[in-house]
Amino acid sequence: MSETRAPTPTERGGAGGESVRRFLARPAAPALAFLAVLLVAFTLANDRFLTASNLESIVDSVAVLGIIALAVNQVILCAEIDISTGSMLGLCAIAAGAVSLSTGGILLPLLAGVAVGALAGAINGALVTLGRIPAIIVTLGMLYALRGVILLVTGGTWITGVPEPTRFLGTGKVLGISVPVLILFGLFLVMELVNRHSTWGRNVFAVGGNRVAARFAGLPVNRVRFVAFTLVGVFVGIASMIYLGRAGSVQTNTGVGLELQAVAAVVIGGTSISGGRGSSLAALTGAVLIGVILNGLILMGVPGIWQDAVLGGLILLAVATDVLRRRLVGDKA
Amino acid sequence: MSEEGKEIGRGMEQPTNIGSGTATGDGSPPLFQLAGVTKRFGGVVAVRDVDFDLRPGEVHALVGENGAGKSTLMKIVDGLYAPDEGRLEVGGQPAEFSSPRDAEAAGIAMIPQELDLFPELSVAENLFVGRKRPRTRWGGLDRNAMRAEARRRLGSLGVDLDVTARVKRLSAANQQIVAIARALVGDARAVVMDEPTSSLTDREARQLFRIIEELTSGDVGVVYISHRLEEIFEIADRTTVLRDGRLITTAPASELDAEELVRLMVGRPLNELFSRHPHDPGEVALEVRGLTREGEFADVDLTLRRGEILGLAGLVGAGRTELAQAIFGIRPPEFGEILVDGEEARIRSPQAAMDRGIFYVPEERRSQGLILPFSIKNNITLSILDRISRFGFVPWSERQTADRFAKELSIRGAEMSDPVARLSGGNQQKVVVAKSLAREPSVLLLDEPTRGVDVGAKSEIYRLIDDLAREGKAILLISSELEEVLSMSDRILVMREGRITGEFEREGATQERVMTAATGGGDGSNDKGEESGDE
Repeated sequence: MSETRAPTPTERGGAGGESVRRFLARPAAPALAFLAVLLVAFTLANDRFLTASNLESIVDSVAVLGIIALAVNQVILCAEIDISTGSMLGLCAIAAGAVSLSTGGILLPLLAGVAVGALAGAINGALVTLGRIPAIIVTLGMLYALRGVILLVTGGTWITGVPEPTRFLGTGKVLGISVPVLILFGLFLVMELVNRHSTWGRNVFAVGGNRVAARFAGLPVNRVRFVAFTLVGVFVGIASMIYLGRAGSVQTNTGVGLELQAVAAVVIGGTSISGGRGSSLAALTGAVLIGVILNGLILMGVPGIWQDAVLGGLILLAVATDVLRRRLVGDKA
Repeated sequence: MSEEGKEIGRGMEQPTNIGSGTATGDGSPPLFQLAGVTKRFGGVVAVRDVDFDLRPGEVHALVGENGAGKSTLMKIVDGLYAPDEGRLEVGGQPAEFSSPRDAEAAGIAMIPQELDLFPELSVAENLFVGRKRPRTRWGGLDRNAMRAEARRRLGSLGVDLDVTARVKRLSAANQQIVAIARALVGDARAVVMDEPTSSLTDREARQLFRIIEELTSGDVGVVYISHRLEEIFEIADRTTVLRDGRLITTAPASELDAEELVRLMVGRPLNELFSRHPHDPGEVALEVRGLTREGEFADVDLTLRRGEILGLAGLVGAGRTELAQAIFGIRPPEFGEILVDGEEARIRSPQAAMDRGIFYVPEERRSQGLILPFSIKNNITLSILDRISRFGFVPWSERQTADRFAKELSIRGAEMSDPVARLSGGNQQKVVVAKSLAREPSVLLLDEPTRGVDVGAKSEIYRLIDDLAREGKAILLISSELEEVLSMSDRILVMREGRITGEFEREGATQERVMTAATGGGDGSNDKGEESGDE
């Protein structure tokens, strides 16, 4: 396998049977193919779709989701789950917003958001590994607990009037490209590098592929999972700055529903919900796919009430194509 | 398990016709017959062009090494697999089974090695799971009728068990009996027993033989799969030998002696299978004193020297695996001490054991030894990533390291970047061993290192073990195959019910002496086994 560098979505799908097979063997293949089909379809259906500004705005709109999905992806690769990210984003944004209101700037609010996220993620990780409580229970509890903390901290009021410098990560542009898009792709590249070449990244796949064998091989199974949960917190903290910049305010219900969207993006992208198989490209593709569909529906004038139904259908379709693809490739794992 | 659950549901709505009554008469038409059967899994041929039949009232022994195709063949009879070629006939009629339920309806029952009973249900309930159960007038379960029927069935086998007892409370022997009775409730005419005595004591095995006699006198046919050759000579009428998926011979049991049988199974004389050079045991590498873990093993002492192969024999469930895993820190012991190179070592995790130079090669290759979605390379380097990596990143030299060990163990059949699942069982096992060797341990705990491995790979693994001992590694060889332990070890320890019950120098070890220590039989052969073996 070409382990030398991260493939980008556009250069895949080469000629020749072998490269087609190799492409199909990739976890993100069905999602990428589906994404290509959708891009063509929406372009034909609406001439405002395929413009640089619309495409950028699509990626821009899924930056928060995509960054969180990149980290949740690692947890799912470990054969664990994290459904606490919705409330976590809310709390991180409040921490970042509050610091911003008193100090301004970027760095201190970012540190505050990341610190709060990392703490919450570390608690998740500690409860799952040391406490030996199933992750679905731990993070479900965390989801409610953090929402409760949000209400207690804010007393139900919004944070508004975030100063302009702080909002740069959400609204700024560098070299003509929006900062959220840059952050999303930057983190994507980092995670691809980590999964392909770092010890921890390799161990994530090992722990998710066979936890018992990983333990018998002397891998630090608990540490690997703990780091994955903490990483979610860190990435949620980063994402909260983008959210804060884009919205300029934080509500008590910020991030509601995001936790399941992140899981959906990972699974739609092609990472196996049972762990051990997948890639960061899968998580990114899944998030972008969600963005494209929602954007396309709006452009085509489909009422917003259809969004959830379409998203649900997409998840089921993703699972179905994954089963099909595995049969095609003859992959029984 | 879930299969079974579904069957209960189906059984209640639509009671199937149990006991189709295709009586084969007194003649010799077989109960079932396999003709020219071939079964492939991917590219691997598990069974090739095999004929096999079972006559009423006979015990037909099926022998062969692990991976010879015995289980595959019987799973075809049981409806779990469909043959790729050849046909299955039941009572002279061609039959196609799509599930064990079909086989059962045709009067064929399988009693697997790992009994498929429901431990939380009572004996009586187990007998009726998936079957038409007696009903009261109101449509509820008629428990009294069930218990009475259960007692009658067990009585016909000459056993008296409390039918209301939960199955998990029964001894291994009695569970075996319940499984047999369960087959009979389904009016089985042909019963397949896979290693029924593997977890029984000598006396319990006697009782089982009596029950088998009971069955065959009632014209039931029994297919008997076992590794214990003595048993086969004792009870079998005919013997079929499989090797590497092929039929070697089917002959009346009286025409084969033990030596001949082993030669047929292995394909060559035993002394050519095993490799052995003189070892030169050095100083003590591992010492264990009074090691205890409640319910698993108690008060175990052992010493293991450099350059020594210490065999650890015993029955399945004797606590050998638990002991090895405790030494490796997977499940730390509650009492006792472990000394490595004469120093006390507190080993609470596999990492700690590895840091002390101990490595454990687990018995379950697929579930404990390999990361199946991983490539061969990534599996080999799994345990050394932390050693070879720089600043948390895996260096390019990983590839060469993996290549070196793949070559050393002559792993064949796929590219290094292919998924490890693509390899044959024997080569997969070599990957597991390569992974441990990459860590350069001084003490190796090998748990059933040749289970499910073909003869060729077996012989290679034996040579490797011998080489490792000559290099000065201390090796603990856990094995349920007596020949393996006797042929490979410098010294042999025997465990029974969690305790060391025998120690033999190589010269003084015989099959009989080791087996006696393993089963606690003492002069077990004099027992008539009148008691029902409860403990």
